[in-house]
Amino acid sequence: MALSRDAYRALEDIVGPRYISEDPAVMDSYAYQWLAETVRPNQSKFMPRPEAALLPGSTKEVQAIVRTCNKYKIKVKAYSTGWYFYGAPFTEGVIQLDMRRMDRILEIDEKNMFAVIEPYAIAGVLQAEVMKRGLNCTVTGAGASCSILVGATCYHGSGGTSIYTGELRENLLGAEWVMPNGEILRTGSIGSRCGWFCAEGPGPSMRGIVRGALGARGGLGVYTKCAVKLSPWPGPAEFPVEGTVPAYRSPLPGNFRAYTLAFKDWDSLFEAYYRLYDNEICYYAHRQWTMLGADLGPAFWMLYQDPTKSLDDIEEFVQKREVKEVTEEMRISFQLVLVGMSQRDIEYQEKVLEWILKETGGWKVKKWLEPEMEQFSLLYLLRLGKKNLNFVYTGGWVGNFMQSGTPDFVKKYEPLAEDATEEYQEKGLLVDCGSDSMMGCVGSIGGGGQCGLEQFGFYDVADKISTAAAVEWMKHCIQEEARHNIPPGKEGMYLAVGKTHEELQQDLAKQPATHTWQRKIKQALDPNNLGDRLYPTLDER
Amino acid sequence: MALEDYRDDCTDCSRCSYCKWIPLDHIKSARFARACPSIEYCNFQAYSLGGRLSVALSLLEGRIGYNDELKDIVWKCQMGGACDVSDKICRYNIRGLEVMREMRFKLVEDGQTLPQHKPYIDNLQKEKNMMMEPGVNRGKWADGLDVKNLAEEKAAVVFHAGCRYSYDEGLQKTARVAVMMLRDAGVDIGIMGENESCCGGRVYQWGYHKELNGFARKNARVWADAGVKTVVTPCAECYYTFKRLYPEIGFTFEVVHVVEYINRLIKEGKIKLTRSVPLTVTYHDPCHLGRLGEPYVPWQGSREKIYGQIPVWKPSKPRYSGAWGVYDPPRNVLKSIPGLALVEMERIREYAWCCGAGGGVLEAYPDFAAWTAAERLTEAKATGAEAIVSACPWCEGNFADTVKNQDEKIEVYDIIDLVQMAL
Repeated sequence: MALSRDAYRALEDIVGPRYISEDPAVMDSYAYQWLAETVRPNQSKFMPRPEAALLPGSTKEVQAIVRTCNKYKIKVKAYSTGWYFYGAPFTEGVIQLDMRRMDRILEIDEKNMFAVIEPYAIAGVLQAEVMKRGLNCTVTGAGASCSILVGATCYHGSGGTSIYTGELRENLLGAEWVMPNGEILRTGSIGSRCGWFCAEGPGPSMRGIVRGALGARGGLGVYTKCAVKLSPWPGPAEFPVEGTVPAYRSPLPGNFRAYTLAFKDWDSLFEAYYRLYDNEICYYAHRQWTMLGADLGPAFWMLYQDPTKSLDDIEEFVQKREVKEVTEEMRISFQLVLVGMSQRDIEYQEKVLEWILKETGGWKVKKWLEPEMEQFSLLYLLRLGKKNLNFVYTGGWVGNFMQSGTPDFVKKYEPLAEDATEEYQEKGLLVDCGSDSMMGCVGSIGGGGQCGLEQFGFYDVADKISTAAAVEWMKHCIQEEARHNIPPGKEGMYLAVGKTHEELQQDLAKQPATHTWQRKIKQALDPNNLGDRLYPTLDER
Repeated sequence: MALEDYRDDCTDCSRCSYCKWIPLDHIKSARFARACPSIEYCNFQAYSLGGRLSVALSLLEGRIGYNDELKDIVWKCQMGGACDVSDKICRYNIRGLEVMREMRFKLVEDGQTLPQHKPYIDNLQKEKNMMMEPGVNRGKWADGLDVKNLAEEKAAVVFHAGCRYSYDEGLQKTARVAVMMLRDAGVDIGIMGENESCCGGRVYQWGYHKELNGFARKNARVWADAGVKTVVTPCAECYYTFKRLYPEIGFTFEVVHVVEYINRLIKEGKIKLTRSVPLTVTYHDPCHLGRLGEPYVPWQGSREKIYGQIPVWKPSKPRYSGAWGVYDPPRNVLKSIPGLALVEMERIREYAWCCGAGGGVLEAYPDFAAWTAAERLTEAKATGAEAIVSACPWCEGNFADTVKNQDEKIEVYDIIDLVQMAL
C-alpha cells in the first residue's frame, strides 16, 4: 500500500526532498533487522517494508509529520540507532522515522550533573563529552553505539555501571514528547519551565506512561529530547587507548581496578552480590565474560587479545593448558570495577573487597590480574565499545530468562536456565559453549538490590534449522519458567512479536487489568491508533 | 567469487551501526566520532555498510531491481574501509568491504554503470591513464631528470609515479623530488617513463575488475624485463593495488611506498635531514596506505561449523583488520624533520576519516568528494596545525581543491616536499 501522492507531498514539504525516500532499496535497508528471522515468514531477515522513510531534523518537523500522519491515517514508527527489530515497522502501511539527524547534546550541566540530549546521541559520544567535565553516564547493556534517550524513555536502560550510575529509567529527568496525536508534552520540571532537574515535577510526571518499566518501544509517540542524570567520573578527561585493533585497552590510573571474581558455587556468588550492595563499593559490576559461555568464553577472550588470531582459531585456544585452567578458575564468576574517588577511597574499597571474598570464599581470577588484561577489562567494561561481540559466534543470538529480582530470586532460575539450554547445545542446534552463557547486571538499579541473568543462545542466522531451534528454545524456556512460577523474561516479547493479533490478545488476557488500562491510555493519546503493537493493549471486549 | 557467495555475510549483519562510527573505544568528541562519509552525507540507512549488506541481500532475493537510486547506493561511497575496520572489531568474519566491491562488479557486469564514470573508463582503455590525458605524455613529468629509463636499462627498483603524479602539474615536482632523493641516497632506481601504465586499481574499486588483470600483466612484464625486484610508488592507491591486489591475481614483487623507503634511508643515515622546517603539521592517513594497505596473505580454505553452530574458515583465514597498515613510517619521517611539530587529529591510523577522493566518488559525485575533504580539513584545523600532510596524491589533490573554496586556509603538503625542505 503506497502512500497517496497527497500524503507523500505533505510529508516531503515538511522535511524537504533530501530527507524522504520511498525507494525500495532504501526501504529494505530499514526493513532488515536482527531477529526478524525468528518471527517473520520463511525466516526472512526483513520486517515489513516501510512505505517511506523520513529523516526529521527538529521537534517541529516531528510534530508536523505526526500531525500529517493523523490527517492521512498513516501509521508511524520512530527509531534512533535502529538496532533491534523493535525499531522496525511491524505491519504494512507504516512510515519509518529515522532520527539520526537529531543527534545533538544540547546541554551538559556540570554543576547539576545532567545532560540534555536528542535521540541519536549515542552513549559512546555522550560519555566522551561528559568525561571531559568529570562526569559519566549510564551506558546500557547493549553498549556504546546505542541511544541514551531510548534507554531512558523507550526500553531497557540497565548497564554494568547501573549499580553506581543508576538505570536510565531512574536517570530520566524529563522528556520532550511528541504525543501520538501530534501535541507536544514536556514532562517533569521542564514542563513548568523550571529546568530539567526532576522528572516528577513541578510539571506533569508521566513517567509511568512515557516509559513504565520497559517503555513503549516506539509504540506511543516520539521522544525528541530528554534529560538524564550524570554521575561522578574520577578518571581522565579522555580514555587513554593503547593496543592493536581490535584488542584496545586502557591504562587508567591507580584509583581504577578491574577484577574477574570467581566463586566455588552459585550460593557464594549471590551472597557476594548482597555484600556488595551493603558495602556500596561497586562502580561497575556485571557478569560479562560468561555471555560467550562458561566453556568457550575464556578461550575467546584469550584469543581476542592476539590481533593475528580470529574466531577461526578458537579450537586451538580451547586446547591450551593455560586456557583450560582459566576456564575452570572462572567458571562461576562476574566482573567488578572499583573506582576510588581518592587514593584512600580505593584502598578502603580494596579492603572491603578482600573481606567480602574472604567471607564468601571467592577469589580474583589470576589471568585477569595481568596488567594488559586488566587494561582490556577497564576499557571494555567502562565504555562497552565492543559489546557487539555477543554476535561474534554466529551473527545471531536470543536471550532468555533475564527476569530481574533479588539475588535469591535470580538464584532460583539459574539452574533452570542451564537445564533448559543444555539439550539444545548438546544436539548442536545452538552453539555448544557451555550451558551457563548467562550475562547480567550484579545491580541493575542504582544502589543494587536487584540483579538479573540473561541466558544467551547462539544460533546461526544463515542456518534455517538452527534459527528454528532458537525459536523452539525460547518457547521451551517459557514453558519451563511457567512450570516453576517464574514470569517470562525478554523472550516473552520476542514471541509476542511473532504472534498473530489473536494469539497476542490471548496472552495479554492473562493480565487483563494492566492491558485494559494501557488500552485506555492508548485510546486517549493515540485516537487514530497510529502507533504499533509494542505498546500492547487488550481489545475492547 | 560472486555476490551470491557473500549471502551469509549479508545475513550476518546484526544491524548494530558500529560501521557508522570510529571504533567506539576511540571516540573523543561528538564532532569527530563518525567514520563513514557516505552515511553522513546521504543519511539514509542504505548508505552505510550495514545498509548496503541489506541492499545486497535484497538484490540477491529479488526483492529489488536496478534503478538510479540503487546505483547511487552502490557508488556513493569512497570504499575507504573505515566501516569495515569498525565492523571487524566485533565481527571477524563479515567481509563487508568485499560485499560492497562485489555489488559494483555485479552492476558493471550487468551493464548498470554510472554515466559519469564512462569517459574515464574509455580514456583508460585508450590512453592507459585515469587523468583523461594522452598516454604519450605520461613520461613528461620526468623530462630532463638524470635517472635510468627502464625501457632501455635495468635496475633493481622501479619508481612507479602513478597517473596522478604523472599528469597533475601541481604534483609532478613532488615525483621528481622523490625519485631523485632515492637515487641520491644510492638506490639503484629507474622509471618506466612513457611506458608506465596505470596500475588498474582505481577502476577496480569502481567495479571494473577485468581491467585490473590487463594492467597487472603488462606492468609485471615490463618490470620483470627490466630486472626489477622492488616497486616503489609515492601513490597510496598504486601501493594498495600492487601490495594487495596484484598478488591476489598472481603478480608478486616487493612493494614499498616511498615514505617507507625514505624512513628506511633516514634510519640508515643515507638521508640526512638537517634544515629546520618550523611548521606545525597534522598527518592524514590515506585509506589505501593505512587500513587498506595491509599486505596480501595467500589463503585458500572453506567453511565448516564447529561447536555445533559456529561457522569458521579452515584453515584460519588471514585477518584484514586495519592493524597492519603503514602508519608509523610517515610519522617517523615527520618526527625526523628538525623544527617540525606533529599534532594528531582525533581520527587517525586505522580509523582515519577518508579524504573523499576514492572509489570513483571524485569523478561521479564531486560535491560529495569536496564535502568529505572539508570535514577532514575542519578536523585538521581543530588541532591547531598550520598544514595537513599526506602521502597520496589523490588525498592531497582533493584537499587542495577543497581548501581553495574555504575562508579559513590550511596548507596542504605532500610528505616528500617536507622532507625536501629539510634536506
